Amino acid sequence: MIKISKEEVLKIAEITRVSLHEDEIEPMIKHLEGVLSYAERVKEIAADIDEPSNKNVNVFREDVVVKTDSEKILAQAPERDDNYFVVPVIIEK
Amino acid sequence: MTKLAFATIKELKEKLENKEISHEELLDFFLKRFEDFDEKIDSALEIFDKKSILEHYSAEGSLCGIPGIFKDNICQEERIVSCASKILENFRSTYDATTTRRMKSAGALILGRANCDEFAMGSSTETSAYKKTKNPWDYSRVPGGSSGGSAAAVAAGLVPWSLGSDTGASVRQPAAFCGIVGIKPTYGLVSRYGLIAYASSLDQVGVLSRTVYDNALVFSTIAGHDMQDSSSLFVNKKDYTANLTGKLKEDLRIGVIEDALTAQGMDNEIASSVQNAVGVLEKLGAKVKKVSMPILDYSAAAYFVISRAEAASNLARFDGVRYGFRAKDSHTLHEMYLNTRHDGFGQEVKTRIMVGNYVLSAGHAGQFYKNAKKVQRLIRSEFKNVFNDVDLLIMPTHPMAAFKIGAFDQDKLQMDLQDYFTCPMNLAGIPAISIPCGFTKEKLPIGFQIIGPHLSEELIFQTAHAYEQETPWHTMHPAGF
Repeated sequence: MIKISKEEVLKIAEITRVSLHEDEIEPMIKHLEGVLSYAERVKEIAADIDEPSNKNVNVFREDVVVKTDSEKILAQAPERDDNYFVVPVIIEK
Repeated sequence: MTKLAFATIKELKEKLENKEISHEELLDFFLKRFEDFDEKIDSALEIFDKKSILEHYSAEGSLCGIPGIFKDNICQEERIVSCASKILENFRSTYDATTTRRMKSAGALILGRANCDEFAMGSSTETSAYKKTKNPWDYSRVPGGSSGGSAAAVAAGLVPWSLGSDTGASVRQPAAFCGIVGIKPTYGLVSRYGLIAYASSLDQVGVLSRTVYDNALVFSTIAGHDMQDSSSLFVNKKDYTANLTGKLKEDLRIGVIEDALTAQGMDNEIASSVQNAVGVLEKLGAKVKKVSMPILDYSAAAYFVISRAEAASNLARFDGVRYGFRAKDSHTLHEMYLNTRHDGFGQEVKTRIMVGNYVLSAGHAGQFYKNAKKVQRLIRSEFKNVFNDVDLLIMPTHPMAAFKIGAFDQDKLQMDLQDYFTCPMNLAGIPAISIPCGFTKEKLPIGFQIIGPHLSEELIFQTAHAYEQETPWHTMHPAGF
């Protein structure tokens, strides 16, 4: 049975870039523990497995410029200024 | 007019060709079907206006004038594609997915966007941020998922075909729950260009329809190599209806996966329905033997790890910067990310990407992700070995018929474990079709899968079609439509 601490779940939430409200922490821990404790069984048989992995192949194409209408894309920005996406300050003063 | 509603694509094509009906009348008819009946099942997130649908009409092609619907995770130019998520509520695609382009150039009419689980994560279509789709056979039950809207619309005769996507079950399980046909193709046979990714190494677009012939017809339109998907296989376009003779391949060898029929939680009614289906195939001349694949007991665990890991990576792009939803009143960029993703994603999506980041994180990746990939390799090689002895495999699509809405609210893991029956094929990259094989005492549809080695779609369709011709299930439709 896998145990997850509050500290650990907050760290994962930080990596995931998602805030967790105080009342969401406990249910999230429970859920993660449930899934991971089940998923852990992959370890049981994996030790005996000696299957080579598939060979990956690269697929190349010519690097050509494809004309796209950037206005259509920029028009969907939550906030923009001319040809720029606008976001809140990155580093606080 | 119910005759038209449940007509096959083949029949509709004849009516159009004989000028018994015009494509515009046919479109009006099916738009009216949604207007009249979709309030019962909530299969669609949006039905487009007639004028904009007809803009793409082309008078040529194998599906000329035949209406259908797309799951809300396949891009259609200038249309919203939301993945049934709040985070993409107003996002409009700037291009057509390859499947969209191919369906349009075949003359098919795309009527709208079908509801699904948020980002295709779920088995019941309950995680949609917008609505809960109901099963046309019993409105208190789920249609399955994640392509639940696509399945319900076809089963209720609102359209003759739909497209869905299948990462672990998402075309086959809803097809089974709604009593229709659904295929999960060989990985790489259908382009993923323009399919919004959940787990890229497992995702495939699949077709839902009421008959095997119709399924093969639509499939012929979307399958085949595509330059724009680097995982696309170099396979030419083919007519997958060519082999549908009603006969089985000579000396066809079929293996019945014993482990699945005796799996924990397997409903007796379903097991015996599938046994009966095997009997039908035997009568048609197939040589049947039992096979055992104990490795399947590990497939759901491997699937959980790999799919969540890939989801965590794929869904990192939804950050509120360039498109979609952005949470208001954040002071810094970092805070904006956290709030946008907290408010924009639903609970199921958040937990899945949390699991994904956990199994990929330093200290845990070895234990989870790397081991899961090893198990995946073993599943692949076991399927390969089994296919030395048999041409096709059979197993149920699901252990229980469509469940009540909310039945697994308190224990999602129990619902996810049902992926046991379907996710091994995604992990192995091999094709499988789910077709109806009966009903429970409560009149809920039952489905079973025909599974084959890589690129055996023609044999799968041929076998499924021969079975279908011997049985009445595809002629039975839910009441009230």
